[in-house]
Amino acid sequence: MIKAEPKTILSFIHQHYDLLKELFLAQSKNNTIDYEFLNNEIEKCGVEIKNQLFEYQIIKNINDEYQITDVYYNLFEFILQQFKPLLPEEIEKYVQSITNLFIKIKEDIGKDKNILIERIDSLTNEIDKFLSQVKNNTSSLLVKSRDLKANIDNIDYQEKIHKASFWIEYYIIPLNNIIDIHNSESIYNILLIISEYTNEKRLNFHDENIRLKFERLYNRLKQALIDIRQQSEILVNELIPLIERIKTENLILKGMHHYLSKGLWYKKNSPQKELLQKFRDNVLSNDFELSTKEYFEQFQLEENVFINDENHSFEDWIFDKFKYKERMVESLPIQNFFEWIMTEIKSENADFNTSQYFTMVSLLFEKDINIEYQKQYEKVIIEKDNTELTIPVLKITKDED
Amino acid sequence: MKIEYPKYHYDIVKSLLDGKFILFPGKLYKTVLEGENKEFYTDFFKESFDYELIVETEYLYLISDNTDEKTSRDIMTFISILSYEIDKEGKNFFDELNSSFFNLERINQYFDNSHSWHEIIKASKQISSPESRKSLIYNTMLKRNIIERIGDNFQFTKAHKVFLNFALELTKIDDKVKSTYPQQSL
Repeated sequence: MIKAEPKTILSFIHQHYDLLKELFLAQSKNNTIDYEFLNNEIEKCGVEIKNQLFEYQIIKNINDEYQITDVYYNLFEFILQQFKPLLPEEIEKYVQSITNLFIKIKEDIGKDKNILIERIDSLTNEIDKFLSQVKNNTSSLLVKSRDLKANIDNIDYQEKIHKASFWIEYYIIPLNNIIDIHNSESIYNILLIISEYTNEKRLNFHDENIRLKFERLYNRLKQALIDIRQQSEILVNELIPLIERIKTENLILKGMHHYLSKGLWYKKNSPQKELLQKFRDNVLSNDFELSTKEYFEQFQLEENVFINDENHSFEDWIFDKFKYKERMVESLPIQNFFEWIMTEIKSENADFNTSQYFTMVSLLFEKDINIEYQKQYEKVIIEKDNTELTIPVLKITKDED
Repeated sequence: MKIEYPKYHYDIVKSLLDGKFILFPGKLYKTVLEGENKEFYTDFFKESFDYELIVETEYLYLISDNTDEKTSRDIMTFISILSYEIDKEGKNFFDELNSSFFNLERINQYFDNSHSWHEIIKASKQISSPESRKSLIYNTMLKRNIIERIGDNFQFTKAHKVFLNFALELTKIDDKVKSTYPQQSL
């Protein structure tokens, strides 16, 4: 029995709102308020109010701890819009009571008028309570999921996966099963059946008072069906994708941790199929002819220098370009240009050197010939200078153009 | 026999063989998905090179069975460490990779201050120094269309999701992977 005036209690709540809010938050977190916490909070506010807290039945003793009484707890839940998610089992009890009341109304429809009115009122109230619980639950699950996404509590990815899986398994999916409009056994479909029955009775029941009661119930049911559809949409379109995404994101981090910590980044045979490495272009280049010329040009002397040594024992060899070009043209087609040069130079000067050899190669730069690369290389040894060259096999033909 | 090739055929083949991702909604991406082109290119790369063409809703790319390839491993290591450090910072790595701007200074801060993966960073030539990271980002990843350069900043393209999906796949085969490498502590 509370002796205080209602206005006094409301004034007390107003005056000590901050303290009561802290107690509410503590209880939301731990289910109870411990002795020390309560004393500290009271000390902070500077006034001894413990007695009033008990007198107005705002808190009660539970063994060595305290708890805010249900009515005040619900009040704070409501004004702070911080509802603790209910287990689906707690919500499901309304489905049971709604179903039972409906069965009773149907069975006893022709019996006592007063009990019929009581049952119709109870059914209306149960539907209201059920809807209120579903809305509160959906909204608190959304807040919790968004907090988890923003990682307000700064928890690691493993814990996030655990929490996301927990919310999905024990709260969101079961709640969705209860209200799922596509599930024939869900509350939505039970309410549809009740709505059809109520619609009929509000129009043709013989007693006017009861017709009005059915009319009121029918209107509540119409709104309830709209509300359930909305809540189901929030669950399916927003909450489930959000929590699944949190789970996926953190599974990705888990996979990355696995990749780094188990040495897959290092191991040769990782399970990953490989992205394609840059394709190496091994096709023959169409400027090979120019490249070959450039290669030999580097060995070419800018000017021919002739040194006359009166004491030499061999005959001087002088490159007569016109003579060799004429011979080359006569010999066309030449299957292997470098082999041909070797034969030519040897026929006149068996003791030729590298420089003389390259001088002969300059015939390649003459006009009126076509050069074809034969896709093979061969070695040439010039004994005098102990030189070994790797050269391409070039076919020379007459340029008809 | 005269074969009619799809428009941009040369660019499509060259890009993919260069290891590039072709991104939606570019003209190359649209061409591959037009009419029967997807089937054509799938067969074309399989028959010509024994490569698999992967077509996703936001990008497409080639993969091979070549286990000598190191680039994708380097990028995976880079993105894994980066994601981890972003998460440690209290930010959502998924959103950051998807839409945030990065620059070399920010990247270097993450990698230079990463205690968890210090040993791996040191052992991986492509990410061990600011210079090597710069080269990985602005040469390798830029050329492959994994990032897009915007002034001094860069942003990941949707192609980065290949590496996130790979991480997701790893959690599924967790039990099958037998490790021979010592575990790192977090």
